[in-house]
Amino acid sequence: MLVEVRDLKLSIGPVPILQGVRLGMDAGDIYGLLGPNGAGKSTTLSVLTGLRRAGSGAVNVLGLDPATQAQALRRRIGVLSEDSGFYGWMKARDYLRFMSSLYGLDLPAQQIEAQLERVGLPGASAHPVGAFSRGMKQRLGLARALLHKPELLILDEPTNGLDPRGRREIHDLLIDLSQHHGVGILLCTHLLDDVDRLCNRIGIIADGRSVVEGSLADLLATRTGAGRYRLRLRGDPPLPAALPEGVTLIASEGEWMHVALPANADPGQVWAALLAAGWDLVEIHNESGGLEDFYLDLTHKELTS
Amino acid sequence: MNSIRLIAAKETGELLGSGRGLGWLITLAVVLSAFSLLLVGSTELSLLDNAQAVYMVMGTITALGGLLAVVVGSDAIAGERERGTLVPLLLTPVSSTGIVLGKMGAQLAAWVAAYVVALPYLWAVGSSGQNLGAAVLYLALFGTPLVIGFGFYALGLSARLGNVRNAMLVALITLILAASPLVLGPSLRQSGIGKMFDAVNPFSAALNAFDSVVIDSDPFGMQIGRLGVVLAWLAVTALFARASARRLEGT
Repeated sequence: MLVEVRDLKLSIGPVPILQGVRLGMDAGDIYGLLGPNGAGKSTTLSVLTGLRRAGSGAVNVLGLDPATQAQALRRRIGVLSEDSGFYGWMKARDYLRFMSSLYGLDLPAQQIEAQLERVGLPGASAHPVGAFSRGMKQRLGLARALLHKPELLILDEPTNGLDPRGRREIHDLLIDLSQHHGVGILLCTHLLDDVDRLCNRIGIIADGRSVVEGSLADLLATRTGAGRYRLRLRGDPPLPAALPEGVTLIASEGEWMHVALPANADPGQVWAALLAAGWDLVEIHNESGGLEDFYLDLTHKELTS
Repeated sequence: MNSIRLIAAKETGELLGSGRGLGWLITLAVVLSAFSLLLVGSTELSLLDNAQAVYMVMGTITALGGLLAVVVGSDAIAGERERGTLVPLLLTPVSSTGIVLGKMGAQLAAWVAAYVVALPYLWAVGSSGQNLGAAVLYLALFGTPLVIGFGFYALGLSARLGNVRNAMLVALITLILAASPLVLGPSLRQSGIGKMFDAVNPFSAALNAFDSVVIDSDPFGMQIGRLGVVLAWLAVTALFARASARRLEGT
């Protein structure tokens, strides 16, 4: 496994911060680490990067123990922390050159330019970092994390401060890294839209404990009411006989149709089949509430229990 | 070793290449100009013999170097933490000891710059005397470990206290206490407590060595004990800074 954490516990002074966190991901996974403010997400990340020592439990990142092999580990991971700062007096290219040199790299100017372009900062290399907007700094932080071609990216709120187009560009970059380069991505975010779009695995932490951990599709499928959708159609509703196998028509209200998908169904494939069968779909709503309701239910239960 | 050099180069650029660094050097030049002018222009101070004037300039340069080291050292870790630049640095493969040594490399460069700026003033007040060469040599020999020791001390406080203001306050109080022999009268320094304080105070050791060499023309052999005190200060503060920086990770 790329990252394996079992029963991680950590106290700061007398205050228990982590009280049993588990996490597992493989190469190419995009893992979303979720939880309310103060749940212990950032502390978990600081243990994974060797900035804090675990009180107890097993932590293994890329086959290394972050507590005792931090320097070897840091050559293989890229990190964008939430409160990441920059030397504002440096130009973007000089900053990246300096940071890459700390990894023993001597990157030529073209490679630095290419890295900036990759994260959506073309033509910014000669600008002082102090003049960058928050979104530009996020992009520069991502460029910094990618400089040494890490096997694992640990990103704390990577799309903070980005406009919708910027978020989409970063999503596309992360998907490319995961799917075509086998980079594992551990994402800590409050933006469930990011998780919904990017992650194949999630872990939810509440009050320092893992509440749930596993494949996003499996977790959503186990939820009561999972697989129920409301579809708006253009034109006359088609015959129920045109429904793909396993898909059930629950109700019909004018142009809205309520359908249920089997637990193992891929919604994308079902919609494609419906379109092929003549269903002119205009809108699709997940009636089971999706990730947001799932997250709110779980964190609410944990905090009130 | 390479990463230490890289961090030192970056820090030196930030320290001396910025307006702040230039401001420091100009301030140093202005203070030394005013002090030198006072030594040669004031009716009373101009009566001091040449060696006495050189000794006073040496003490002033050392105190200003210590002040520079305290201010820069206090910001070295806590300032980076406050600006959010410490964590990205800690997340590189460079060890915390490497980061400390890199930062101290920049402090050494700042002290060398201050020393070079001070040389013409030393020459201006001491060129007519016989001990100018010894003054230049002993300022480097005793001033460098003393000033760098204060840099290590302030850096260690900066790492431990995590706050520039608190680290600078504690380091400045220590510097003022250590440099108090500069302003204490001879009778106070000859008292029992004064003698005890002088025996362990690296600043006193440096001042006494300057006095002994420049005013009394004593040989180097008589300064070995004093040099030992200054080097011990450097060693203890270096260990303190290293131990403090190691707390930054894996705590």
